[in-house]
Amino acid sequence: MVYLGIILGSLLGAIIGVNAPVISYTYSSYLAIAVIAALDSVFGGISSVLKKNFDLKIFLSGFFCNAILSMLLTYLGEKLNVDIYLAAIVVFVGRMFTNLTIIRRYYVDKWSDKIQKKEKNNQALESK
Amino acid sequence: MVIRKKGKIVMSISIGVSCFVLAMVMFMQFKVVNQTDITSIENMRESELRAELSNWKEKYEDVNARNEEVTKTLQEYRDKEKSDNETSKLLQKELEQINVELGKTDVEGEGITITLKETQNNDTAITADDLLVIVNALKLAGAEAISINEERIINISDIVEINNSFVKINGQRILSPYVIKAIGPQVYLESSLLGSGGYVDELKSYGYEVSIEKGSRININKYEDEIKSKYMQ
Repeated sequence: MVYLGIILGSLLGAIIGVNAPVISYTYSSYLAIAVIAALDSVFGGISSVLKKNFDLKIFLSGFFCNAILSMLLTYLGEKLNVDIYLAAIVVFVGRMFTNLTIIRRYYVDKWSDKIQKKEKNNQALESK
Repeated sequence: MVIRKKGKIVMSISIGVSCFVLAMVMFMQFKVVNQTDITSIENMRESELRAELSNWKEKYEDVNARNEEVTKTLQEYRDKEKSDNETSKLLQKELEQINVELGKTDVEGEGITITLKETQNNDTAITADDLLVIVNALKLAGAEAISINEERIINISDIVEINNSFVKINGQRILSPYVIKAIGPQVYLESSLLGSGGYVDELKSYGYEVSIEKGSRININKYEDEIKSKYMQ
């Protein structure tokens, strides 16, 4: 169900994004940092779904606030002549990896549980 | 159970929507990065623009220096050409002057015209000697150009009597009446011939018809033959 939503949303977004007008290169750095922030939020959302502590308010507010905050930080960095967006990228990508680990562990655990169950069933059948 | 399912649907939709936004922004960004032409100045970053600007400035300075150099050289050439031109103009003028003096051009100026004519009651014709005397007298009076019957008298002109019957000037036979044109100071020319003991009086006493006319615009033709020099160096 969740994955269906992800695939459908991505496809729709891709189609619309391809047909959208080109924005100036000057703003592309803001867009890039927003993409990273959104990606981080989506990964966080998926991991929270798997951990069963998904909260819509937290998810949506995190999604938009992260994106906007990262853009503002990039702007500030440009004004201060400091590459603040690098810090944002480091944080987001680090969190992305953490979330990815959670997702991976969940499925690996699920898979290994299945194998264990199968083996137990087999053993039960054999003992019978 | 129902509530859980509803929550799951909302969850899926919200994640789907966020994925939608994410994918849209991502593809827009891909497009921007793809389509960005590094040469188009509008899309360049400030640092890149600075580098480019300094680069162009350097080039501009180089070209400017070269331009100055070339302009200088050009100016030199122009000056040279000008001086050459002046020299050639001077030479041209000199050449013209020499040609005028040599008698190789038609000339015009104030002077006198003398007409000599034999009459019925003369027993002798006008001789080359008579013409020579007149020409010499005119030369003495400061004539600058002389012609007899349109034959220009130049420095090597000959005025000779052939067989005591006809007169040759510049190798051409000429006939009476003799029209002598001279350009020079009118008064001197006239007085050299008319004054007491002047040659005109003498000719008149022989019975020849002599008339002298003053003119402010006397035309004298150029010397028709070629002036050759073979032995002169």
